[in-house]
Amino acid sequence: MLGRWFTGLMVVATAFAQGPPGATPSKPQPPNARRAAPFDPSGYWVAQITEDWRQRIQSAKKGDVGGIPLNANGRRVANARDPERDAASGDVCKAYGVGGILRMPGRLHITWEDDNLLKIESDAGTQTRLLSFTSPRGQAGDWQGISTVTWDRPRGAISGFMLGSPVGAGGSMKVVTTQAKPGYLSRNGAPYGASAIFTEYYDLFQIPGGDALLVVSVEVTDPEFLSGPYWYSVHFKKQADATGWAPRPCTSK
Amino acid sequence: MRKTANMHRWLTFLVGALVASLALQAQMPFPGGNGPRAATTPAIDFSGWWTANLQEDGEERGAGPELVDYGGVPINEAGRLWALSYDPSRLTSRYHQCDGYVAPYSVRAIGNTRVWEERDSKTQTLVAIHWYSQTFEGHRVIWMDGRPHPPAYAPHTWMGFSTGTFVGNALRVQTTHLKQGWLRRNGLPESDQATLTEFFVRHGDHITYTSVINDPVFLAEPMIRTTDFYRQPADPGSWLFPCDDGEQVMGRAPDQVPSYPTGRHPFLDEYSNKHGVALIGALGGADTMYAEFEPRLKSASEVEARTKAVPANVPAATSRAVDPDPHDGEIHVLPIRAGLFLLVGDGGNIVVQTGDEGALVVNAGEGKLTAKVVAAIRGLSKKPVQFIANTNSRDAYTGGNAGLKKAGVDPSVVGTFLSMQDPGAGASAAIIAHENVAARMSSNKAISPEAVPIDTFSVERRRKFHNGETIELFHTPHAVTDGDSIVHFRRADVIVAGDLMDTTRYPYIDLASGGSVKGFIDGLNAILARTVYEHSGEGGTLVVPGHGYLCDEHEVVEYRDMLAIIRDRVQALIAAGASLQQVQTARVTADYDTRYGANSGSWTTEQFLEVVYNSLKQAAPRR
Repeated sequence: MLGRWFTGLMVVATAFAQGPPGATPSKPQPPNARRAAPFDPSGYWVAQITEDWRQRIQSAKKGDVGGIPLNANGRRVANARDPERDAASGDVCKAYGVGGILRMPGRLHITWEDDNLLKIESDAGTQTRLLSFTSPRGQAGDWQGISTVTWDRPRGAISGFMLGSPVGAGGSMKVVTTQAKPGYLSRNGAPYGASAIFTEYYDLFQIPGGDALLVVSVEVTDPEFLSGPYWYSVHFKKQADATGWAPRPCTSK
Repeated sequence: MRKTANMHRWLTFLVGALVASLALQAQMPFPGGNGPRAATTPAIDFSGWWTANLQEDGEERGAGPELVDYGGVPINEAGRLWALSYDPSRLTSRYHQCDGYVAPYSVRAIGNTRVWEERDSKTQTLVAIHWYSQTFEGHRVIWMDGRPHPPAYAPHTWMGFSTGTFVGNALRVQTTHLKQGWLRRNGLPESDQATLTEFFVRHGDHITYTSVINDPVFLAEPMIRTTDFYRQPADPGSWLFPCDDGEQVMGRAPDQVPSYPTGRHPFLDEYSNKHGVALIGALGGADTMYAEFEPRLKSASEVEARTKAVPANVPAATSRAVDPDPHDGEIHVLPIRAGLFLLVGDGGNIVVQTGDEGALVVNAGEGKLTAKVVAAIRGLSKKPVQFIANTNSRDAYTGGNAGLKKAGVDPSVVGTFLSMQDPGAGASAAIIAHENVAARMSSNKAISPEAVPIDTFSVERRRKFHNGETIELFHTPHAVTDGDSIVHFRRADVIVAGDLMDTTRYPYIDLASGGSVKGFIDGLNAILARTVYEHSGEGGTLVVPGHGYLCDEHEVVEYRDMLAIIRDRVQALIAAGASLQQVQTARVTADYDTRYGANSGSWTTEQFLEVVYNSLKQAAPRR
């Protein structure tokens, strides 16, 4: 008797797992991050420099690093920073790496290279980041490091006998970057080291007036130069076109 | 056998539950989509203790910003000039010592935050999210139950009125009814016309907070900022922020408001020089937010930078504020407190006091909608209008006198000795006002004798006990006219200011009827001498303006400051030998024009300046 119940249970469960009656059995689908995206980040985005303005719109005075939690080693390096030396050593892009590029004045151009690969270009320093949803992309030891990307969705409530944790509404794009070439968190030389980890959350909001806003919240951990996690968040307003897009080389000034 | 039957029932339940669960799962919207679940289900719980991360703009948000540090703030000319006029000594005024922070500034303040949900006890649906900030005890209530925002004539508060919805993985909050406060506490203002849109997103034990401030008065573009919070594992304690004002500068005259003269900020270059920031950038503006501005930091000339610090040679701007009166031909009623109601719609604001006795009405409106005013009062009071008090003689407040009087009665005099003089005594409401109101109205042949106050007073104070309430009328000499009064309901703690307070325009002063700038400022100070705030300079005594939204002490202080500052500027020009025309073209009101200015209509900025000029010239000591 019990055996019949269990058989029935399995039949019902299998039927639901296969989808509604009459549906063609689905084939395993290749991952498609673009289709699964809670929002589309593609387009031209202009940075609005409304916080830490003095340190972002220009290279502030040496040692003026705002609230970046540098440890003693980090402060020493920042206070010894020499733009001419950076230029001479070919490190003119030190402030345009993954740790500093989002705080630069300028624009981003985000495109889908394919369904699982996002490209972020910045006109400041003419930098390019490749964010792959399937396998880490990038090159260890370059300015933008190696990034892994996922859609980070809030967990919904678990109810009844639902198996697993359902996904809540919306979501952020989470990017974790490691193995970047040591660079600067600020234009005036607040340093990060090779073991720094950058965790970014991208969110998209519709604001009054019909504009779209891309907000990126970033956590930086770096045992070499930071005394604790460094959090900052930046925002970009969507543009209808490429107006103002002005690729320009890095500068150490 | 019994055991097998129980097992069958259990398995039947199990299968049913599984089927139901799978069926529900099949009906769910696409994962991550903003389907119906997003609109009805509180997907994110922000409850707990949080602390704002001050790693961005830390100096500004912690110790405080430096003067003339406006870079990256999209202020317009009015915002910049307002800030450049701001002397931090203004905080020593007892009316500013406890000023709270407006919501968007409060969220970015140093200190801890506690968040909790309020749920309906019967249905457990989410009613509100409470966001309590330690600094100034900023307690925000974000209503999640779909209630509408209050009408435009409702009071403004530091925290404003907020409603929220869940959109995707964010809590989206819309806030209106904010007080004038700080965009940055080095003088950069945020007006009472600002609205706020916010997004709260949880990333684990971290909140990313985005605020979008739209301020038509002081901003050229929305001010957008992002802030990070981290979760506190335990109650950090220390939640209170007490403040009582006191005398910090002895002997300062009550009409003295510290401000820097236009174009003469004593620390204009200090921040710029100290940090190596070009002045043109430090002075802020929408263009300073963008990459295109970077080259100008080096290329802009000294003259170009300093030109930005004074009013431009352009026509005066006009008010961008919302008129709280809907002007829709209807009378709108707003409960104030303790049996008092505000009636908006017939010119000047009307206040109705209700109770066991007849209604007492302060001001009668313009008289164009008197029938609707009477109907509205009947809806509030079981008894007819018994008394009408006029705060001055102007049409906006007395135009409805005759009609309102006719609709009322004054049973307190029926059959008394007064009937021997006037058999009709008590057959209509009695009108109370300062005797100069009666004199001015009587001398105007266009005004019906029925509209003229008969119950007049000539001393500083007229008092009355009515509907269980202590009511005082205080004469404020030579303010708008020579017959102004304010009416203080002491138990309700509501002051009806009449023309002395107006959130819609520059102070109206009728020199020909005995008004003066000095008397007007004295009148505002007379109101402030009677107000008591509840906390952080807001609440407590409420002040009903002649036109505009229901105020408290803070709005009166800002209005007083504005008039005193403009007076000082005009006075300085007069002292330098300026003509009226020179005063009118000097744009001495440039920082206030986007809030109060008008280039057309019944009370223009030009007229206002003419009155200020002439009033000060009249008051100038003769040699």
